[in-house]
Amino acid sequence: MATEWKGIRVDVTIPLPGRDLEMRLETRSDALAIVGPSGAGKSTLLRVLAGVERRARGTVEVNDRTWQDPTRGVVVPPWERRVGWVPQDVLLFPHLSVRENLGYAGAKASEIQETAGMLQVDGLLDRRPRRLSGGERQRVALGRALLSNPALFLLDEPFSALDRPLRAQVSATVKEVARARGIPLVLVSHDEEDAGALAGERWHLADGVLVRV
Amino acid sequence: MSEFLSTRIRPATALALAVALLASGPRTVAGQGGGDDQLLVLAAASLTDVLPAVAAAWAKEGGGEVRFSFDATSRLAPQAAEGAPADVFFSADRAWMDWLEARGGVAPGSVRDFLGNALVVVVPADRPAPSGPTGLLALHRVALAGENVPAGRYAQEALVTLGLWDSLSMRVVRGGSVRGTLEWVTRGEVDAGVVYRTDALAQPAVRVAFAVPAGTHREVRYPAAVLSSSRHPERADAFLDFAAGPAGRELFRSAGFEVGASAGSPAGPAVASLPDPASAVRISLVVALLATLAGLAPAVWVGWVLARREFRGKALVSTLVFAPLVLPPVVTGFLLLSLVGTHGPLGQALAELGVSIPFTLVGAAVAAFVVGFPLYVLSIRGAFEAVDPHYEELSLTLGVTPRETFRRVSLPLALPGIAAGAVLAFARALGEFGATVVLAGNVEGSTRTIALAVYTLLESPSGRETTWFLVGASVVLSMVALLGYEALSRRQRRRLEVHGGD
Repeated sequence: MATEWKGIRVDVTIPLPGRDLEMRLETRSDALAIVGPSGAGKSTLLRVLAGVERRARGTVEVNDRTWQDPTRGVVVPPWERRVGWVPQDVLLFPHLSVRENLGYAGAKASEIQETAGMLQVDGLLDRRPRRLSGGERQRVALGRALLSNPALFLLDEPFSALDRPLRAQVSATVKEVARARGIPLVLVSHDEEDAGALAGERWHLADGVLVRV
Repeated sequence: MSEFLSTRIRPATALALAVALLASGPRTVAGQGGGDDQLLVLAAASLTDVLPAVAAAWAKEGGGEVRFSFDATSRLAPQAAEGAPADVFFSADRAWMDWLEARGGVAPGSVRDFLGNALVVVVPADRPAPSGPTGLLALHRVALAGENVPAGRYAQEALVTLGLWDSLSMRVVRGGSVRGTLEWVTRGEVDAGVVYRTDALAQPAVRVAFAVPAGTHREVRYPAAVLSSSRHPERADAFLDFAAGPAGRELFRSAGFEVGASAGSPAGPAVASLPDPASAVRISLVVALLATLAGLAPAVWVGWVLARREFRGKALVSTLVFAPLVLPPVVTGFLLLSLVGTHGPLGQALAELGVSIPFTLVGAAVAAFVVGFPLYVLSIRGAFEAVDPHYEELSLTLGVTPRETFRRVSLPLALPGIAAGAVLAFARALGEFGATVVLAGNVEGSTRTIALAVYTLLESPSGRETTWFLVGASVVLSMVALLGYEALSRRQRRRLEVHGGD
């Protein structure tokens, strides 16, 4: 990374029916894992960072930039944040082929070929997403995020559909790319092994409260 | 993904409903016979004001209650022939009474011929009036009642006799009943109209320019008779006796009718100029296509806004957009005429641009557009709603702006649904009747669509084959469109499938 990574600071409130979800996170780690039971709000935290959680009120700072701060009237829209987001439900564009999904953000054909090879989906480039297995879809989604030239990875259970041996390989690939290009990452997982393999710092989220483990 | 269609009004259902309503709409419901004591009288529209007064006078003398169904004679006579549960028929010409008599619809010997009327040319009260028949040639638009409606036939005969028909026929706008013609003159949508003298007297907003010379057309007579389907023939006979008696005659006379025996001119054949079926099909297709193309961009925009945006007044906007779906098409047509008619706020602005909406092909397309638009939007809104908004969010995080996201994700994912909406709107536009007849009239060769041609043919004793041809064309076109809609809707659902069936 060109400049020193200054970390992430989140202090938001999300009004939900019944109660408000308050999330506070402050870290300088460039490889962060959020673990915790399902329904605790882990995916919501990633949506806040990606800028697509419209209900979130409060401040979000990433590195040395303010992405959201109502007191200063700042909102950086999602298309200017450069996050490589792999949501839990993957969301490959159903009307586009694997190749078109990978190149959606404008990657060159050679880059697509290379990344597809790395993630072992190079034989599937002309298929539509509905003809892929769950694990294949997950790898294509990872590839699409990698190829969007992100400044921050947001990975939401990115290996859940992969079997053990493949999971280790793909996890190692992601880690390698992130380290080689100096891209910090936030990983959401309920799998301690994934969290351990990728992340340096671990936070536990339960009942909306984030606690560093 | 398929629940979204079943949880809201299915556009196909709505269309079927609309078609069913239209099919029954134009004809006057003759009633179910009502109370056993009441007489039901079918009467020409031009008697609307005077006959209830006659009935009231009869009731005062112990005659009993009378109910009325007023409409164009050309619609009433076929109803009577089909055995409508009515007792008395007042025809606005002899030809239709003869036609009914020939079909056994009239009680033998019950026809009375004591009532007559005259034709006049009326103009809007604020316009210059031509002083005689040749003055009509200077006018832009002249309204006549429908060609199978007696008032329309008399007027056409007179114009032919006067040698004006050939020059005027392109400027003639044909309505339905004579009351509808009068309404157009009242609103200034036409420069002049040919109506009965009695109608002109009853409407202060019009001025009589001149009387149509009596010898130029067959005598306007109102033969009245007891119907053979009557369940109270004696009381019906008594009512007619009263109407033709001194008290009745006085009421008719004071309303401007001519009372007394006919001068004895021959009845003449029930001439009818039949609509050209090929032209009707062509006009229908052009009108529906125009409405569909013009509606595409606005329907996509409104559909997307309703599916994806929350804003103040959203309920109001959707109410306005969907109103034509539930409003009677005739009401929609009336509102449109008020808006884009010659005196409407929009109509005046358009007139300055040289665009005239009423009685033109553009008017027919506008009516079809407005009535088809709700189905268009409904279908497209459903298509956008079926697209998981997370796809759009994900596209944004990949550095793609909202506008580009709409083009690259929302639009292609909703495309089959948009096409389905277009097909549905096209089908609805093909079937449009009520708003069209009010806004665009029924002008052969320019606004007479399939629906209007069929309607005209229904008023005519002849031309059954043409009717069946047009009915067939209408059914086939609608079915093909609905099949296309279903196929496209299936394709929309398949397009959004994430998990394959394999």
